[in-house]
Amino acid sequence: MKRLRELLRKALVPTLSVLTAFILGGIVIIVTDFEHLSQLGTDPIGAVLGAIGGVLSGYGAMLAGAFGDPERIQEALRTGAPRDVATAVRPITESLVSSTPLIFTGLGVAISFRAGMFNIGADGQLIIGALASTIVTILMSGAAPSEVILILAIAVGALAGAAWGFVPGFLKARTGAHEVITTIMLNYIAALVVFFALRSDTLRAPGSTSPVSRNLTPIADVPTLLPLPGLRLDMGFIVALLMAVVVSWLLFRTTVGFELRASGFNLTAARYAGMSAGGSMMLAMALSGGLAGLAGAFLVLGTVGQLSIDLSGGVGFNAIALALLAGLRPSGVVLAALLFGALTSGGKTMNIVSGVPFDLLFFIIAMVIMFVAAPGLIRTIWRVRVPDPAPEVASVTPVAPSDPV
Amino acid sequence: MTASTGAPDQATAPDARVVTSGEGLAARRALRAARLRGVVFVALGVLSFYFATRSLDVATTFSFWLDRPGGEFASVKPSVGVLWIITGLAAGLVGILHFLRGAAFRWRVWLVLVAAPWIFATLATLLAGKAANLTGLVASTLELSTPLMLGAMAGILSERSGIFNIALEGKMLVGALVAAIGSSVTRIITGNDIAAVLVGVLLAMLASGLLGLLLAWLGIRHRVDQIIAGAVINIGAVGITSFIFLRVLSRNTQFNQPATVSAIELPFLSDIPLLGPMLFSSRPYVYIGFLIVAVLTYMLFRTRWGLRLRASGEKPAAAGTVGINVIAIRYQALLLAGLITGLAGSYLSLATSGSFQIELTAGKGFIALAAMIFGAWHPVGALGAALVFGFTDASQTLLSVVGVQVPPQILSSIPYVITIVVVAGVVGRVRGPAAAGQPYEQG
Repeated sequence: MKRLRELLRKALVPTLSVLTAFILGGIVIIVTDFEHLSQLGTDPIGAVLGAIGGVLSGYGAMLAGAFGDPERIQEALRTGAPRDVATAVRPITESLVSSTPLIFTGLGVAISFRAGMFNIGADGQLIIGALASTIVTILMSGAAPSEVILILAIAVGALAGAAWGFVPGFLKARTGAHEVITTIMLNYIAALVVFFALRSDTLRAPGSTSPVSRNLTPIADVPTLLPLPGLRLDMGFIVALLMAVVVSWLLFRTTVGFELRASGFNLTAARYAGMSAGGSMMLAMALSGGLAGLAGAFLVLGTVGQLSIDLSGGVGFNAIALALLAGLRPSGVVLAALLFGALTSGGKTMNIVSGVPFDLLFFIIAMVIMFVAAPGLIRTIWRVRVPDPAPEVASVTPVAPSDPV
Repeated sequence: MTASTGAPDQATAPDARVVTSGEGLAARRALRAARLRGVVFVALGVLSFYFATRSLDVATTFSFWLDRPGGEFASVKPSVGVLWIITGLAAGLVGILHFLRGAAFRWRVWLVLVAAPWIFATLATLLAGKAANLTGLVASTLELSTPLMLGAMAGILSERSGIFNIALEGKMLVGALVAAIGSSVTRIITGNDIAAVLVGVLLAMLASGLLGLLLAWLGIRHRVDQIIAGAVINIGAVGITSFIFLRVLSRNTQFNQPATVSAIELPFLSDIPLLGPMLFSSRPYVYIGFLIVAVLTYMLFRTRWGLRLRASGEKPAAAGTVGINVIAIRYQALLLAGLITGLAGSYLSLATSGSFQIELTAGKGFIALAAMIFGAWHPVGALGAALVFGFTDASQTLLSVVGVQVPPQILSSIPYVITIVVVAGVVGRVRGPAAAGQPYEQG
């Protein structure tokens, strides 16, 4: 009972944060609803009700898109036909599909932040991993069984991402080059490398004028989890969850993880204790890049099935947001990624069904992070007693000034 | 390796040894680094002579407008090989100086001597005999570096006062949107283009200024980690501007047709032959940008206010002890930074593109941040860095207009590669304001 109350107390701030953010989002929808608001002069009540109705239909569509449509679920329970079941569970599986790359990259960002490296290069690391996987898959096509190609392509994707992430870590440790600059620059370079690679006839889809690769699904495909038609949820999600366990173990149960966190928390102290802070930086960045590379590999080999320029769709920046929201804890990353995945999948439905642009979600996500990071705001708005944030949430900035090693 | 925390008395002895051997080690490392750099420069010189042997008979044409674009012009036709020979001599000289003077050699100043001919030689080699207009290149360098320069100044103001400002990108984006809408609406109401531009710019500055205050308020009052607060503003800005664009502006395009800012020829100065069309026929933003750099340099390093601001960013506790109101200084700096960022944002929608588009900033805020670090948190250094970014951007446009047969992706990636090389090799261990990012509790 006491533990339950403790849990409720801890869940109060995130819950109220999400609620407040959605209320603010609703206000934004109403204020920008010109069709209804233009009738304010003639029919004020109708205009306001119409605008509020717009919010409700938008959020309703989002919920249905994230978790499933109640009518369809009833239908599926009644008939039990595989097609109906697939339709009923598709929204929730799509939410999990959207959360998979977020778990990988979120874990990666969390590792690098823990080591005091502000890695904003997850997008670049992801797309380089995806490119490497694509090249391996296409080059090995027919030369080996598809299972072998699949495993090899995933491994190479992870290694390529790790290499791309290692570069800023190495530069920071050896020359003191600021990782914020180098990771941003490497993001642009990665996008251009992929763009350049997709000019080649070997990679590019035959007859396509836009820069997309051949379809990889016939050569190697990540096995799906549910034997139902049209569901994209695949093994990538399970691997992502396993990675969360591995990262958690690595960070909190091993010497390497301890040194990594120590050099992020206080570089000077870590160095005086005889740790190699530079080594920790390089290791953290390589691990971070490797996880982002895995996200890219599973996207091209599973969910999407081909490489394109906009493959990541801003996953890297969302990953920063959710890692911060999660207080840089692996378990928190998984939960936050599930939330973001549901929002993404629901937001797409909201866009299609009710015409409320998807981008509202970024605003809502930003507000959620703001309220979680500043519980004082929640205290003022809702007049409740809330605990101060955990120290990890309160600060990702290393204590020591980031002078190089 | 274990990470046990030894008792203090055990820790002192190894500490002392580490410090003394550390100094000798540092000196030896510096000498080794200087020699390494010397080798790199000499190698660059040898490489330049090799290029020269292959291109002595290739001439390139650099032309300049004398009075106005499209009017009379002068041109020089240097041999590409000669340009490479000059580069080779300069690089060789700097390389040898490294060996002669050792670690004490102040090579960063001398770098200009190598970089200038090297840039022209590379440009001439890429042009491969085609003619290029350098007046246009300089003018568009100035234009393209203006938003970066302004953004970097905003970054310097806030980080020198002790607050990380990764929110430049988001503030710029909001500024661009507000400028477009404000200017369009004023234009519809008054029909006056000048009033429309002024209202647009002022509203953009106001909006970004408010976001600057929000960043400061979250960081100071609510002690939110400043990187998190910045991320909140960046993500929120992308969301709200794209949302408003898709929901309002794309259906009501009259709200996204702002009065645009065009180039102004400064009286007298623009009549100077050669320099007039190059430097003094730009948009007013360029002149204002340079003015802000000058004023900010003076304010930061020659006024009492600047000293207090820098003290707040380096050692806020000491500043607070002598009675400086660190919190007030930080709010002021962030407000001022926000106003400048808004100006930069309005440039994007009122000058470059002539309307607001989704994610119009396209990373310019982050590149401005890079220019700030590149310039070691000094306004003049950051100005130089912004000009370098602007120049690579402008020369890339020039090369693609002239029709040089290099894959565009390779050309586009040059500025980013150069940035990494420069930040890693030239700038190296620059140190930001010591207290940036640390919350400060006023006693």
